[in-house]
Amino acid sequence: MAKKSSAFPVGLYGALLVALCALTLPAVFQPVERALLGAVARVSRAAAGLAGEPVGAAPAAVGAERVARSSDVLRRVAAHHVGGAPAELALRHGPVRCRVFGVGGRGGGGGAPCELRLDRTYAELGDSLPFVTQGDCFVGYLAQPGGPGAADDVPGDLARVLLPNHPLAAPMHAEVEVGPDARLRVVVRPAAAADPAPVRVDLWDDPYAAARMERALLPVWTRAVVGSGSHVPGGLRLGTTRIWGYARTDDDEALTLGVFVVPEPSAPSLSHVVAWRRDVAGAPVEPPVAAAFATATVREMPGMAAGRFLLVADGEVADGAAVARDGALLGVVRPLAFGSGLVTGFAATRLPWVLLLAPDGVGVPPVELRAVVVRAVGERVWLRRLGDVMAAPLPAVGELFTGSNGAHCPAGLWIGRCEADSQDLNQLIVALPPLQGAATVRWCTGERRP
Amino acid sequence: MKRWLAWFLLAPQAYLLAGMWRECGLPAFDMGVLWCLFLAFFAERTALPWLLLGAALGRALVDDASLALQVLVLGVPVALLLPLRLVLHGQRWLHLAFAAAAVAFAVPRLADWFGAWFAQPSASAQADGLVVLWTAVLAPPLLAVARRVPPCRGFVEVA
Repeated sequence: MAKKSSAFPVGLYGALLVALCALTLPAVFQPVERALLGAVARVSRAAAGLAGEPVGAAPAAVGAERVARSSDVLRRVAAHHVGGAPAELALRHGPVRCRVFGVGGRGGGGGAPCELRLDRTYAELGDSLPFVTQGDCFVGYLAQPGGPGAADDVPGDLARVLLPNHPLAAPMHAEVEVGPDARLRVVVRPAAAADPAPVRVDLWDDPYAAARMERALLPVWTRAVVGSGSHVPGGLRLGTTRIWGYARTDDDEALTLGVFVVPEPSAPSLSHVVAWRRDVAGAPVEPPVAAAFATATVREMPGMAAGRFLLVADGEVADGAAVARDGALLGVVRPLAFGSGLVTGFAATRLPWVLLLAPDGVGVPPVELRAVVVRAVGERVWLRRLGDVMAAPLPAVGELFTGSNGAHCPAGLWIGRCEADSQDLNQLIVALPPLQGAATVRWCTGERRP
Repeated sequence: MKRWLAWFLLAPQAYLLAGMWRECGLPAFDMGVLWCLFLAFFAERTALPWLLLGAALGRALVDDASLALQVLVLGVPVALLLPLRLVLHGQRWLHLAFAAAAVAFAVPRLADWFGAWFAQPSASAQADGLVVLWTAVLAPPLLAVARRVPPCRGFVEVA
């Protein structure tokens, strides 16, 4: 028997099986993992306490300057999102800025996410128009609790937005700007999940002109049609076209088989959207939500070169909470037992981030993007933009901030100064502030309205 | 009992020691590979699951992915190398160096695959040729030392 067990190590295979179960059902095993890692971290905490002198915080002026930058970018974002809306909409209705808490949904056109979750409940947005915008762009339809796409939701739930590629999204009247004075009227509807883009052009007022459309990236705008029953006003930008068909050759003309629309801005990169209250003409924008922070201490783990930190807090920290030091983002925390947490520095994370890029220059609107860290050398980090490869090029230089990355990672935390990578148009090089040793930090406990 | 206490107290911290070694300007090596080789070639077979847990705890301390994923990343090479113990028993320096190079190459790949599969990407998924080389060079002498001192000494399988 002993020989059999040594030839077939049941225990080892069992451990691998349990690990697979834990990965499939993370919520069940999470408390055990937190307790085990918390206990191990106690030893590291004691060891770290003996090693080296803590490095003090940056001068107060540095922190204040970074906080001012954060406030400035949030103000610029708000001005762009609300001020860019069509005048008719802004005159008749009051804007409600909502933070995007999550992007998801299955079966969306083009295989893309098709739903947003906002930071406000259906009840809070009860008297709003049934759509949301961002600047002059149409984002999606505000779902109704118990209605299509939100059958199980109740008014107290966080509101859901159905994007134009949601399978239940209504077809929409639109027009393609084929020339300076030429517009092709169309009806767009959600594409299939297997289609190459999220939204598909379904009907044309001039199919012959449509079949001869050779150029992609033409702007598509919503169109108001009297008697259509749609509440979406005309003049909102929906996205840009993509052509599916045969390119022109020496012998043959180009043949367009299908025209698709890629919505702008891209849903996964959204941080904020604007809902519109009915009959609140000229109402001022509500004050933005303020992120609430709690104080904690972080200590750089030995040998981890600014990639991993041990956080010690008074109570339990929230999973995925942003940790800021001197007004700059340090990283995100994973909670452990015994009032501690493991912070992964921004440079060491490999999960996608929603970010705000404020280009240098007066009056230039911030850019929302979704990107992932691909490389880090010292305090320099290479970020690759995710999403549509045909999107507009990234600004040359600017300041990088967090976008909306969940309930405990607010938008507007300063990350660093960045510049476009001259070797790769879809990459940014970010210079992070230097950091060593131990320091007092703040971690985000959530957000509250003033 | 004492040997288990020593294992769970010291084995996870070895990753931090390896980091300090690197910070001192010495050649970087992958501590996970060292634990994989110890578990596969020298440790008591009956103790393997718990020894693996201790090694995975240390990796979870320094890496972004979850503990379960670390168990898989370290456990799969151990499970694959374990049958070779019959052939490669004892301190065979060259064989250990080759095995270390193979595992040092495999561990980041596994972290990459499992990370992509379970949506837990981590920075350790990027293999570094220099780290592979130095792990292959340093693993045999470090294993020779580790087998003679706690916490490994208590778990060395007696033939």
